[in-house]
Amino acid sequence: MDFAQNTLDGLTSGAAYALLAVGFTLIFGTLRRANLAYGACILFGVYIATWVAQRSDAGLATLALVAVAACVLAGAYVERLCFAPHRERRGNQVASGAGIAAMVASFALWMQFEEAATLLLPRHMYAFPALYEGAPLALGPLSLRVEAIVLFAATACLLAVLWLVLQRSRFGVAVRALIDDPLAAGLCGIPVARVFALVFALASAIGGIAGFLVVAAHGQVTPHLGMWATLKGMLAMMIGGLGSLPGAVLGGFLLGLLESHSQWYLGPQSRDLIAYLLLFTLLALRPGGLASWMTRWTSTRSAS
Amino acid sequence: MSEVLLRIDDLVTTYGKIEALRGVSLEVRQGSITCLLGPNGAGKTTLMFTAAGILRPQRGSIRLAGEEIAGRAPHAIVARGIALVPENRLVFPGMSVRENLQAGAYARTDGVEIERDMERLFERFPRLQERASQPAGTLSGGEQQMLAVARALMSRPKLLLMDEPSLGLAPLVVEEIFRIVRALHAEGVTIFLVEQNAHMALQIAEHFYLMEQGKVTFSGNPGSLAEDEVVRRAYLGSTA
Repeated sequence: MDFAQNTLDGLTSGAAYALLAVGFTLIFGTLRRANLAYGACILFGVYIATWVAQRSDAGLATLALVAVAACVLAGAYVERLCFAPHRERRGNQVASGAGIAAMVASFALWMQFEEAATLLLPRHMYAFPALYEGAPLALGPLSLRVEAIVLFAATACLLAVLWLVLQRSRFGVAVRALIDDPLAAGLCGIPVARVFALVFALASAIGGIAGFLVVAAHGQVTPHLGMWATLKGMLAMMIGGLGSLPGAVLGGFLLGLLESHSQWYLGPQSRDLIAYLLLFTLLALRPGGLASWMTRWTSTRSAS
Repeated sequence: MSEVLLRIDDLVTTYGKIEALRGVSLEVRQGSITCLLGPNGAGKTTLMFTAAGILRPQRGSIRLAGEEIAGRAPHAIVARGIALVPENRLVFPGMSVRENLQAGAYARTDGVEIERDMERLFERFPRLQERASQPAGTLSGGEQQMLAVARALMSRPKLLLMDEPSLGLAPLVVEEIFRIVRALHAEGVTIFLVEQNAHMALQIAEHFYLMEQGKVTFSGNPGSLAEDEVVRRAYLGSTA
């Protein structure tokens, strides 16, 4: 029974990790650059929503919209400042250290957002309107939190919509072309800079929803949210395989399950240790992450 | 004489301090096949990338039907009627053949006509039709080259740039690619072709340029220079 309960808990936190990893992967997959300010944007969005909640009796739907909007704005700020100036389109004009410069710049904005958030709400912890106030549902011996069901269902819906958009729409063709080969995407007439800005906004919106769901499920906000989102998102993305969206989803759930089981069987202090051990083993044995088992076409790419 | 579709004037493109193009001037006439020959490192791919907007020139002008396009972004150049089939093809490996063609038509908004063009290209390339829903990464080199050509044609270009379409392909496949180039030319597409295979290029070109060390060193019709001389300079450069 412990095993089943842990699995249930693991799937719940895994859903949040999956969303964070998908946001990271959208940005990394299209630009091949890590956005270290991603978690900080989420923190900023959630803090603005908390600030609104402190001063009004806005409902959860309004707060979700505020969090997403603030997160998208913060993301646009990061994109303009860190990534737009260093884009690779004009290969002969961009300095060779541009990738590092963009990453370091995004680290600086991470600090900026954290400072702004703690200036806005300086206490160590704030209450956030809870998704659900009642007691957990009892399924025989298992207990199932209603917040967890909401989180899980919202994640599933969001991923399904994202999948449809990427597979079926004109915008989706442009995004996947950008992931496969940014140079060829430009040659096809795809406005690479504009599509990238839109991808950034989409990733930020997904991050905003993830952040909102997590704080609403816990009923509280702390300034650690930014660091937490960046670490968990990147970890899940790397486990899944850099740049692969199905990999990111799988990586998120695997990380969630691993954490809840190791916390139960080996104690809370071993939780992160086990997660990093998994990452290390995977990177040593399979640098492509989980995705390298799922896709075979990458190896036939250069064959003629 | 037909009119000039592409006119390049005194074009200079640099990588940092290295000048890859050192004042290139040439023209491509409407409806012609024009070839650019030259040894490795002469700047042929740099010229193609500059014309397509991937690289920004230091100075000089590129005019398409009189309109200046030098320094514009790639998608804006595609919208004005230049499509490049890049060296090594660069198909989207994770996307299906059909989706690759859809990507090629991204600059267009006439949905019905796009579908019709796709059907027409499938008739021309039956092998692509057979593999329409397969990921492009699973195609053979020759099929990928056909897909790259078809993808470029989906933008309905006025001018088709091709960078080394025979690179890394078996002789029979190369023959097939050149048959396609001839057929496109017969339909009135203007083609500007970079080719290492000087013998093949001289068979189909109406006009050719020889490029060495970032400059055009010879321009003429096939036959205006002995073929063995062209071949020697195309592979080795005139200093060899």
